[in-house]
Amino acid sequence: MSGAARIGIGGPVGSGKTALIERMLEAFAADGTEVAVITNDLATDEDAERLRRGGRLAPERILAVQAGACPHTVIREDPTLNMAAADRLERQFPGLELILIESGGDNLASTFSLDLVDYWLFVIDVAGGDDIPRKRGPGVLQCDLLVINKTDLAPHVGVDFPAMLATAQAAREGRPVIASDCRRGAGVAEVIARLRRDVLFTAVAP
Amino acid sequence: MSGGAGELPALLLALRLGDSGFPGGGFAFSWGLETALRDGRTDRRALGDWIGSEIDLRWVPFDAPALAGGWRASGAAALADWAARVDECHWAEAPRRASHEAGMALLTATAAMALPSAAALREAAATGRLRAHLPVMQGALWRAAGLDLPTALALSGLGAARGLASAAVRLGALGAIGAQALIAGLEPRIARAAAGPPPEGALPEGFPAVSDVALLRPAPDRLFVN
Ligand SMILES: Nc1nc2c(ncn2[C@@H]2O[C@H](COP(=O)(O)OP(=O)(O)O)[C@@H](O)[C@H]2O)c(=O)[nH]1
Ligand SMILES: [Mg+2]
Repeated sequence: MSGAARIGIGGPVGSGKTALIERMLEAFAADGTEVAVITNDLATDEDAERLRRGGRLAPERILAVQAGACPHTVIREDPTLNMAAADRLERQFPGLELILIESGGDNLASTFSLDLVDYWLFVIDVAGGDDIPRKRGPGVLQCDLLVINKTDLAPHVGVDFPAMLATAQAAREGRPVIASDCRRGAGVAEVIARLRRDVLFTAVAP
Repeated sequence: MSGGAGELPALLLALRLGDSGFPGGGFAFSWGLETALRDGRTDRRALGDWIGSEIDLRWVPFDAPALAGGWRASGAAALADWAARVDECHWAEAPRRASHEAGMALLTATAAMALPSAAALREAAATGRLRAHLPVMQGALWRAAGLDLPTALALSGLGAARGLASAAVRLGALGAIGAQALIAGLEPRIARAAAGPPPEGALPEGFPAVSDVALLRPAPDRLFVN
């Protein structure tokens, strides 16, 4: 693979995409992985600003790309601006290993173009309802890794989490599903282990 | 495009390069329209005038000559010279930066598609040897792809009109049906400018004051690049 691996992070607004990235950046800062982030917020640079404030990454490694009121288009039908931003980051930081591209958030039909990313995650959350995996949206089915976030909220929103997880696993027919709680950081190490194995090819042999 | 079956390959090429589905990042630029709508400088009823003025005051006097120079330039050095002159013709930084960013996006996509010349242009632009202004890049790329100058101009003009109309649709200020009527109304002006290309060496000029001011206005919560 030439250049940094490009990882898409999609999923509905509010499911915890930025929270997951914040957690991943902590881990990458600790182990020295060279990373950069591109955000696609709908109308602001809020996610980018939040990540910059987090201080885990030099501010110039975080770029915000405007989606022209169309978060779908900018990751699939016309991912040009994200490609250009990723190219710019690679040129500026030659040792870059990983570029995380956060979608502005969209419905369950959104998918990433493989022109843009090498691998993509779809983040849904427990509070969004346990029927989400049953709806079999292309995002849930086609992503390389499905993350079900906010497991901590299951008792508060009346969701039978083991059942939701089982539905998701059945819908995915054996492709990976990871449960996470980004409030406390649970599941994040598993997500990173997946990326190491499937994308970075730096998994440590057991 | 008047004639028979022999012209169909050229027609298909133009349709493909000019298709609204051709990726190039242009959909995320509103060229000041988003800010203007928000500030009440234009509205649903005045939208036709706004987009018409963008064609008359920006595309015809500025973009069309910039494109023609890019189409006519032979060789990397001549193209870089022309692009530098176009760069100097921008009176303000915001439109200059936007034009460069949009051109760079077009180069990114076309280089990924391996269109003729695109990779070399992209490399020159990324290393600072070429100012990648959008109309100049359109001229250079479309000539390399095999379009004649009037067709390249027509594609650019129609693309500008359609881009603005589609931004207006996504901003909720125009319907998709109404957008077609608006674009159709601009076609004669675009055709006229494309049929009589700017003379050799004609420098871009013009001052679309209202929309440039909209481009200069700070817009913290914007959906579009500009
Ligand atoms: N309880 C709980 N809240 C979370 C978790 N992950 C994210 N949140 C909160 O959910 C909200 C949306 O998260 P955010 O990362 O901005 O979502 P995004 O729109 O997908 O990027 C924020 O208030 C987060 O603090 C989680 O695992 N548990
Ligand atoms: Mg976010």
